[in-house]
Amino acid sequence: MKDINELNLPEDVKYTKDHEWAKAEGDTLTIGINDYAQDQLGEIVFVEMPAVGDSFSAEDEFGSVESVKAVSEMYMPISGEILAVNEDLEDAPEKVNEDCYQSGWIIKVKASDLSEMDALMDKAAYLEMLKG
Amino acid sequence: MPQRINSISRAGVFQDLGVLEYTEAMNLQETARREKTANRTLPDKIFFVQHPSVFTFGRNGGKENLTVSEDFLTDRGVSLVQTDRGGNITYHGPGQAVLYPVVDLELARIGVTDFVYGLEEIMGQTARDFGVSIHRDPRNHGMWKGPRKIGSVGLSIKHGISIHGLALNVSMDLTPFSWINPCGMSGLSMTSLKQELEDQGLLPDPPVAMDAVKETLITYFCQWFQFHPVREKDAAHA
Repeated sequence: MKDINELNLPEDVKYTKDHEWAKAEGDTLTIGINDYAQDQLGEIVFVEMPAVGDSFSAEDEFGSVESVKAVSEMYMPISGEILAVNEDLEDAPEKVNEDCYQSGWIIKVKASDLSEMDALMDKAAYLEMLKG
Repeated sequence: MPQRINSISRAGVFQDLGVLEYTEAMNLQETARREKTANRTLPDKIFFVQHPSVFTFGRNGGKENLTVSEDFLTDRGVSLVQTDRGGNITYHGPGQAVLYPVVDLELARIGVTDFVYGLEEIMGQTARDFGVSIHRDPRNHGMWKGPRKIGSVGLSIKHGISIHGLALNVSMDLTPFSWINPCGMSGLSMTSLKQELEDQGLLPDPPVAMDAVKETLITYFCQWFQFHPVREKDAAHA
């Protein structure tokens, strides 16, 4: 696994304790798993995504990623409705390993309460959590 | 290349569940995981178990890889269970050693790839101690003896904590594997430690004892993942 100091953690996204990232543009959020998660999981072979129109509360399971012989759940950073899923991942789940913040994004969500973003961590707080 | 896990030794509570229904063992693992998720300071828990005959499906599917009808299985007292682990269909039955580590991989800083590699490794070390040399194979994860599969791995991870684990064929009746395409691979045949020893003309005396396999698996698990065992009072049922 990568050393914590080697992780690619952009400044312009927010992080969850379960290693998702979220980036807001207006009330639309793009969500994926971060560099720590993709590195911890190893080679991702399948991404199970929700259906467009599904609604979730913050911290609900919204999908899973399968790597080698392990299925790992993903959790909603905030409450909202699924606007889009990254259909490219159906044929190319490895994009999550290769580029987890850009082409490896997983869902887009219409936030029901943007103030929930305040509970997420910035890079500094997330790094502090990782270092325990 | 995955490495032996380097970290401080962790307490692992080992519990032998005896012969226990698959769904009951799954409930125990899920309960242990829920408790650990709520309190990350609780020690990791590792269950050893044998299951009555059961086919289980993974997240990759399975039912399509049954080559007999469900009625055929019902008539023979074999149940079917959908699970949340990775992988495809497999079979568990008496005479198979099953280890379910409920481990906080995140706290232990063990990557999933390294964890799977380590579970394969301890099956290899155990088999070697009983006189059978087994190996990895590019066709699939798990452990193999030549073209035949002898041990399988499948995990589910929530909040960084694993459940499910490994299954090593020791002395089980292998017939039910012929009713499925194991791991979703048609034409795949399975083997066991007993079968391999017999094929080599070795009739182990005394026969390969499940208790000895259990102790060996646990010893190598502790060595590889740096655990020190804490034995909880063994219980047939929790």
